[in-house]
Order: sequence, then C-alpha cells, then structure tokens
Amino acid sequence: MSTLTEQRGWFSALASSSEPEQSGPEPDWLRNTRVLARDAIRELPVPNRKLEAWRYTSIEGLLQQEFTPAVEQGRTWTHEELEPWLGPAADVYRLVFVNGQCIPRLATGLELPTGVTLGSLRAALGTDPKLLATWLNHTGAHEEHLFSALNTALIHDGLLLHIAADVELDRPIEVVYLNLEQDKALLNQPRNLVVLEPGASATLVERFIGAEEAVYFHNQVTELVLQEGAELRHYRMQEESRASWHLASLYLSQDAHSRYQGTSLSFGGRWARTEYQARFQHEAAQCELNGLYTVGKGQLTDFHLDIRHSVPNCTSRERFKGILFGKGRAVFDGRILVEKQAQKSDAQLRNDNLMLVRDAEVDTKPQLEIHADDVQCSHGTTVGQLDPQQVFYLRSRGIDTDSARRMLCLGFAGEIIDTIEVPILREQAMERLTATIRTATETLE
Amino acid sequence: MLSIKDLYAGIDGKTILQGLNLEVAPGEVHAIMGPNGSGKSTLSHVLAGRDGYEVTGGQVRFDGEDLLALATEERAHRGIFLGMQYPVELPGVNNMTFMREAMNANRRARGEPELDAVAFMKRVKEEARHLKLDEQLLKRNVNSGFSGGEKKRNEILQMAMLEPRLAILDETDSGLDIDALRVISDGVNALRTPDRSIILITHYQRLLEYIQPDHVHVLVGGRILRSGDKDLALELEEKGYGWIEEEAAA
Repeated sequence: MSTLTEQRGWFSALASSSEPEQSGPEPDWLRNTRVLARDAIRELPVPNRKLEAWRYTSIEGLLQQEFTPAVEQGRTWTHEELEPWLGPAADVYRLVFVNGQCIPRLATGLELPTGVTLGSLRAALGTDPKLLATWLNHTGAHEEHLFSALNTALIHDGLLLHIAADVELDRPIEVVYLNLEQDKALLNQPRNLVVLEPGASATLVERFIGAEEAVYFHNQVTELVLQEGAELRHYRMQEESRASWHLASLYLSQDAHSRYQGTSLSFGGRWARTEYQARFQHEAAQCELNGLYTVGKGQLTDFHLDIRHSVPNCTSRERFKGILFGKGRAVFDGRILVEKQAQKSDAQLRNDNLMLVRDAEVDTKPQLEIHADDVQCSHGTTVGQLDPQQVFYLRSRGIDTDSARRMLCLGFAGEIIDTIEVPILREQAMERLTATIRTATETLE
Repeated sequence: MLSIKDLYAGIDGKTILQGLNLEVAPGEVHAIMGPNGSGKSTLSHVLAGRDGYEVTGGQVRFDGEDLLALATEERAHRGIFLGMQYPVELPGVNNMTFMREAMNANRRARGEPELDAVAFMKRVKEEARHLKLDEQLLKRNVNSGFSGGEKKRNEILQMAMLEPRLAILDETDSGLDIDALRVISDGVNALRTPDRSIILITHYQRLLEYIQPDHVHVLVGGRILRSGDKDLALELEEKGYGWIEEEAAA
C-alpha cells in the first residue's frame, strides 16, 4: 500500500501535469479557481478507508494507474468511427463528448428555443464568460473532495446548459460521453454546469459509453442549480468500459418549489462511483433519486448519497436497487440529514439488493440523522435472493428456469427503469439490462 | 392418462406419501379429500415437480411417460397444470406478459407457432370476462395486491389459457366466499372436456356441490384409504374422517 504522501502526490502530479490555461486566454476568476483547487489538493483529506465516505471503496487500484489528462484531442475522429456508438438521435437535442471534450460537429437538433443555452463549456468561456463567472462553483463542488478539486484544477470542457425563466424545453437533451482512446490511459474530466432559472423545465439524458478494454478514468463533476419552481428530469445511463474507472459527482442545489427527478443506471466500469449531494436552499422543494446497478465479476459499483434537509417542508425520495451476479461488490451509502429547523421534512430512503450468487458482496448503509421533531422519515434496506417459490410458479407454467429468473430480475429492476420518462432511453436501458441478466442467469447453476 | 403406483415421497427426510395409488382416465374428475397433513399438497407438489420433494419409491406415468424424470416446465409442456393453494405474487412481472410468455413457452415446446399479440389479448380478455376477473388485474403485476378470490380466479384464468390435459387444483376453494366459489366452479366446469382430466384437492365437500366429481378418494396418512363416488364426499361431510381411519386400523 502506498503512503498518504504518495497518494496525494498522484493528485498533485495530475493537477499540475497540464496547463489548460495555455490553450487560450482565461478570465481572472477561472485562473483563481484553478489556484484554489490546487491549494485544496494540498489540504483536502486523501480518500482512504478510514474516512466514512470511502470506507468500503478503495482507490488503491486507481492510484496505481498513470493517466494523461485529455486536454486536446490527439487526433480527429471520423464520423464513421463515432456513428456506431451514437445510435439514433430522434427527437432530442444531442451533444457529444469524446474523451471529455465537446465535438460540436456531432451535435444535432440544436435549433434551440430562445432562452436556452446548450453547448460546450469551453466555447462559452469565449462567448458567455459572465454566465460561467456567475454560476461555476456555485455549489462549492471544488471544496468537497480531492477528486472534485482535481476536476476543478483542470477545468477544460463540459456541458453547459442554462435555461431562462419559464422556458420549457420541448424535447429531451441527450449528452453522450464517448471514451474511446485505447492507446493510452486518459483522464477525462467533463465539468458540467446546469442552471434552470425560475419556472424553467427540462429533461436531461446522459449516456456514458466506453470502448471495450479502453483504460481511462472518467472523473466528472456536475453542478445542478434549480431556481424557484424549476423542474429537471435527469436520467443517466453508465455503460463504461469494463477496464475503466468512473466517478460522477453531482452537486444539486434546489430553491423553493423546485423539483429534481434523477434516475441513475450503473451497468459498466470496473470501478464506478456515483455521488449525489443535494442541498435544499428554500422550502417546498422535492428531490427524487432512483438508481439501479448491476454488478458482475470484477466490478465495484458505489452509490453515495448525501441529502441535507436544512429548511422546512422539503421532500426527498431515494430508491436504489442492485442485482449482483458475479464475484463483485456493490456499495450503497445513503445519508439523509434533517437539521433542527427542517420541520415537516419528508424523507424516504430504500435500498434493495438481489444476490444471484453467494460470492457477491454488498455493503449497504442507509442512514437517517434527524434533529427536527416533526418529520416523516423512513429508511430500509434488504439483501435477498430470488424466491424459489416464485421460480417454481413460473416453471410450473412452462417457463424454463433461465427465463423465469430473468423475468423476476427484470421485474425487480422494472420499478426503477419505469421512472425514466424518455421512451427511447427506457428501451435502451431495458435492452442493456436484459442482455446483462441473460449473461448472468445463463452462468448460474 | 395418469397412473400413480405405490408412490412414496416426502420432504426434509420425512416420508409423507406412503404407497399411494391412483388411476385417472381422460375426462374424469377426481376429488382427493383428507384431513390436514394427510399428504394432499405433497401429492400436488410431487406431480408438478416442486424442488425439495424427494420420491423414494413407486412410479408416476403420464400418457405412459415417466413423469418424475421430467423437469417442472417439461411437465407443463406435456399438459400438467397446478392451480396453487397459495399463488405467489410476482413483483414487477406484468400479469398479461407472464401469461403470454407461459403460453408461448408451451407452444414453442410443442412445436406450435407462437400466438400473436392481438389474438392473445382477445382471448385473455374473453376468458377474464367469463371468470368475472376485473380486466385491470391483467395489467397489474402477477397476483400483486390481489384479494384471495382474485388470486384463485387468476389461477383458473391461467388454466383456461394454457388448456392443460390434466389440471390439479390444490384447495382452490379455500378462502372463497360463496359467490366467488360459484364463479370459479362455473369456470372449471366450462373447462371440462372428454379428454381433459381434473384432480380436485379439497378439505370440504362444499366445492363438490359445484364441481361434480366422478370419483372421490380419501387420503389419510399418505395413502388412499377409500374410494367411491360423490356420495362418499357426503358421508365424509356428515361423519368426518375419523371412521375411515378407525376402519383402516381395524
């Protein structure tokens, strides 16, 4: 095991290994932000298993790998190379990132309604620096942990979505992140900023796709700001390469009466962690987080929720389900804090796990910390196997064992998939899940 | 059609069926009655091939084939249907999808073409109407949140759709009020054909007022101690099971 100094060195070396500011003039505030982030890298605790938030999730393997920050594309990707990964772009506004950088010519359907800014964060530095100066780091993401600081120190590109007050987007936005480099291990760090002004409404789909065997670290930070009465439906489907590390840190700030509905599906990666940090700024906001993960041989999947009710009358719902079928591990660490003044908070947290084999492992830790006295809160967790009575019932009707198990697994996961209100994504998710479960059930005894 | 000879079977090392014999010919309705723990449900589970039951002696032939050598789903493909005493709930599995999958699995196994979606929908709705089963329940998850009576009706609906050659109905009457019992009995009677056999497993004579059996058997201690026609059921209703056990002991 490497020492703490060596571990911190990994972060500092990456943070200073490239000078993104060299690729163009940058405003002072951004330069300052980078300086602050580099300072933070010297001071923030190094994630290790003594820290509660990293107790079940080791980063040892990650730190043993050397990465090159993907600042400029080493090459131009042809349309033919990228097309097969993308699929149909029907009825969406699509934005494509390759190795962390926006490829404008792949964007489709971008005749946007007035009041909507959607595109590359890098490009906006030139065209709309004021918007970025106002909102970037609004949620304090750069101060949270080393990985977010690393992302901030090297801010280069990402998604920028800004919707003016009362504008409702008619079609979903689809952002596809393709991680395709196979010759060297890249550090891809999209930095996303999503701001919905009062009363704005949108649906955002994010898809993470990796070329088979590609080794990379996708270290993404997404800041989400929902102003009064804004509504965001946010669906994420992670299908990274099985040789990759994937960390998505989402920082959500919600004003009064805003509504966030998030569904995260985690299928790929050798090491995949999704963190949600939700903060209610004013009353009567609603936050719904749904998640589904499948874990097979050699995979670790981690969901980490940090929900803070610090004002009265907010609602949060968290439902996460996992199917474990190979020698792999899942971690669920969900924490809801209800502060003293947050009366009438309504918070419900659930995590259910289906273990198809004995040698899989899940560490699940739902936590409710309540300091107010007039609240409605509950949490629960289950770890179980397929019910033999249910399998027998299906078989007694003529359905073979594999199909019976598959139907029950899909039934278990269906509740989460059904929360996705974009039909094409729901189909894609079902297809991916069915294929995964098919492989999983065929290898069972 | 079904021939059970000297069957010994049990679970968890305990032998429950102790030399059971039964012959069922095509088109016949047999009622198997008996006190709690006599082996009624064990018989139905052994015939359907439930995991955990061990057959230690005897044989079961279905149309001449060794039934016990077949997997559960293969028995279904041959035309065996078990209407469960406690139908389980299948969370997240849509009732209609489930029935269609089941029908098509059987059709594929028999080398028949799959039923197309439109024809299936039409039929399942028609059968549900006969059984006075709310059409909404077809759209729900299998048995999820169904009342006791709705679960049993859903079992008979599956029987109607799957058209088995031998239906074993395990305490289908338990927990039903008189109206539900009538509807279900009408449903079962409508499915009686000259080549479809039915085994009714029941505690009470009540069900047999609605579905008239050709033969009544009394199962006690894992063996059939007495067989007769429907009058035997009336006698049991009147006198209980005690006298048969006493006669057998004597």
